[in-house]
Amino acid sequence: MTDVAALLQRQSFVELPARSRCQHLLDDADQRELLGPFERLTSPWLPKQNIVTQSDDGVVIMRGTLGDTKVVIAAVEPAFQGGSMGEVGGAKIAGALACALADAENGDPVVPILLLETGGVRLQEANCGLAAIAEIHDMIVALREHGPVIGVITGPVGCFGGMSIAAGLCSELIVTREARLGLNGPQVIEQEAGVDEFDSRDRPMIWSLLGGEQRVATGLAEALVGDDVAAIRDLLARHVTASPKPLARTTDIARFEALLETVAPTERATARTTRDAFAQTTGAA
Amino acid sequence: MSQTQTPRQWNTRAAEKQRRLSTVAHLLNDKIVDRAAISDVLYGCIASGDRVIAEGNNQKQADFLSRALADLDPARVNDLHMIQPSVGRPEHLAVFEKGIAKKLDFAFSGTQSHRIGQLMMDGTIAVGAIHTYIELYARLFVDLIPKVVLTAAFKADRAGNLYTGPSTEDTPALVEAAAFSGGIVIAQANEIVEDVTGLDRVDIPGSWVDIVVEADQPFYIEPLFTRDPRHITDVQIFMAMMAIKGIYAEHGVASLNHGIGFNTAAIELLLPTYGEKLGLKGKIAKNWVLNPHPTLIPAIESGWVESVHCFGTELGMENYVAARGDVFFTGHDGSLRSNRAFCQLAGQYAADMFIGATLQIDPDGNSSTVTTSRVSGFGGAPNLGSDARGRRHATPAWADMADDNDPLARGRKLVVQMVETFQAGLVPTFVDELDAVTVAQKANLAVPPVMVYGDDTTHLLTEEGIAYLYRAESIEERRAMIAAVAGVTPLGRSADPGQTKRLREAGKVQWPADLGVSRAEATRSQLAASSIADLVDWSGGLYTPPPRFRSW
Repeated sequence: MTDVAALLQRQSFVELPARSRCQHLLDDADQRELLGPFERLTSPWLPKQNIVTQSDDGVVIMRGTLGDTKVVIAAVEPAFQGGSMGEVGGAKIAGALACALADAENGDPVVPILLLETGGVRLQEANCGLAAIAEIHDMIVALREHGPVIGVITGPVGCFGGMSIAAGLCSELIVTREARLGLNGPQVIEQEAGVDEFDSRDRPMIWSLLGGEQRVATGLAEALVGDDVAAIRDLLARHVTASPKPLARTTDIARFEALLETVAPTERATARTTRDAFAQTTGAA
Repeated sequence: MSQTQTPRQWNTRAAEKQRRLSTVAHLLNDKIVDRAAISDVLYGCIASGDRVIAEGNNQKQADFLSRALADLDPARVNDLHMIQPSVGRPEHLAVFEKGIAKKLDFAFSGTQSHRIGQLMMDGTIAVGAIHTYIELYARLFVDLIPKVVLTAAFKADRAGNLYTGPSTEDTPALVEAAAFSGGIVIAQANEIVEDVTGLDRVDIPGSWVDIVVEADQPFYIEPLFTRDPRHITDVQIFMAMMAIKGIYAEHGVASLNHGIGFNTAAIELLLPTYGEKLGLKGKIAKNWVLNPHPTLIPAIESGWVESVHCFGTELGMENYVAARGDVFFTGHDGSLRSNRAFCQLAGQYAADMFIGATLQIDPDGNSSTVTTSRVSGFGGAPNLGSDARGRRHATPAWADMADDNDPLARGRKLVVQMVETFQAGLVPTFVDELDAVTVAQKANLAVPPVMVYGDDTTHLLTEEGIAYLYRAESIEERRAMIAAVAGVTPLGRSADPGQTKRLREAGKVQWPADLGVSRAEATRSQLAASSIADLVDWSGGLYTPPPRFRSW
């Protein structure tokens, strides 16, 4: 039986723009945006290519608390340039993480939360975007020594390219069923390997391999959550107070090499065979 | 007086039918013919010059039989006159390119709209007329009586009984026209069972059907009515709010038909949220003439919808519909019974309102989806989008359209065109002259393909506001009202601000602020469901969307 009241009550997180996502996750008191749109930090590269800039370059940084734990949220705006990471937006995230690292080293930890709705580097900004993404990776690894670094992927863009590595580096990764996580996106794989290898219009196949459920089942993400602001906030509130744990995902390289040995590239991977392979070698699923 | 005159034969049609069937009798086992013999059956049953219906409906396609027809030798069968509610398959046009058929009468061409336009203009297809659905069915009983009908069913038995179930659509009307006029009815079925006990129910009696063949694959069906809520824009939500407040609530619209666009999908998804907030539940949008739109699920689940009668079905909605028998028309087996002929009649005579979108509107309010590169036909829209002048029963919304000063005043159906002032690619919706006029000349059509005439249009809704066209007191005022909501299109820029102000004060044009609808409120968070996955949740898991709509 459908619970109409609950369905009407449910507020979609995916539907919210980046700034609202931050506002809904943080406690009401003491929210403040860092390097907000009135700072006019826009991309210097987009105008040269006749592309309209955005005053926050598609990245929102917000400080505040979540259930009394100090946090800083970096949210990528999926509606601006496909959530791509440019020089300025990337630097805003890297800078926020650097501040969090300094605070942690001074004994005043601020837990970083990354809302990763991004296709990866902004192609128009090429190496400048890539350099920023590398700095983000560096900061996440350093911050992990001090406490949780939490990534959230909800949809509809997914998380691809260099930022998928950032997601993989997070100590906790929270995903929805609609979230997709992969180094290359479906169109890129199809373009490089052919439609027989990967049909980017075969949606059930794409989600069965790259989707949130599969990523949790194979241990590449920690938790599955519904597209519901309250549920995501509750889950985050539990994760920000969690003590850091050893992160097999990015340190246990030998196990993943063993996993790769079991893969026969000539055979078509399915959700089932992938889960089985992970279960045998990494203990996931 | 001649002594040699022989008495007239009064049963030549039946005799000719028996003659044709006798030539294929050796191929039949009961009414069943082997798939491999289908060409011989068609050669025996179809003669050059015949009127033939190849069942192409809005959704269901007798595609095995239409492929078999397209494979015939044009030296043996030619000059056919095809009659099709919908021309939806490539092979429907191949019969013309091969010279098997010459003339075409149809209502809708959907996916083939570009190619059919080219073939009309180069003379390969001689089009009789582009009809509305019930107009075409009507002619099957008057001046387009078919000789052969090629139809499609889910299941058939050896006596020819057909189960067409949720996809009954046009079949009863098409089959009846041939079965009772000495025509031949040939049905393809996905599955053939021994006798009637193997059928879920009988939709078409076996005595109306002459020949049955098992198709090589299940008949093709197009999911035409699934709109992914993900693609609904804030502007569409804004317009939907104006529609609910300024039209549905204003006139008390209880019974209605919706178009298939994202505009009206937005309205369906706002009823349980915005509509609820306005206290309109139980007052508006209760009785629907509509395919089982997935976006209607939240309104049904939250108790807005009393009844839905369907033209056809929608892929993935089968289990949901079967589980909501109080709302939908279902058989004793539980599955939906659609019927396009009755549903179109319901939309014409019993619905308070039709609301839909279009591609072009001229300064007089005439509208069409035909553009120079695209001859899509209109299906049911010209019927649904017109006043039924034979109507004699009153409902509050219908009566609200009447002129109070006339003692013989009668109401009207509300016909609402809901359009953004610009289409994709910044093409203005408002044009000086409809492309339909040029197309009619190039394709030798007697009537320019107008979808909804301006004098039938009672309301025009754009993102700028609502023009209550039925309140216009002259043609000039009507034009001014249209221009007042035409935004920054050339027509909109020609509007006189002083006159627009007077029209707003007179309640003939209302801008969003006049209606108390705020742009800031028009966000996607208002939608009861914002994705296909949400719709599945709302259905309690009963809705199973086709794979192409899944994002999980």
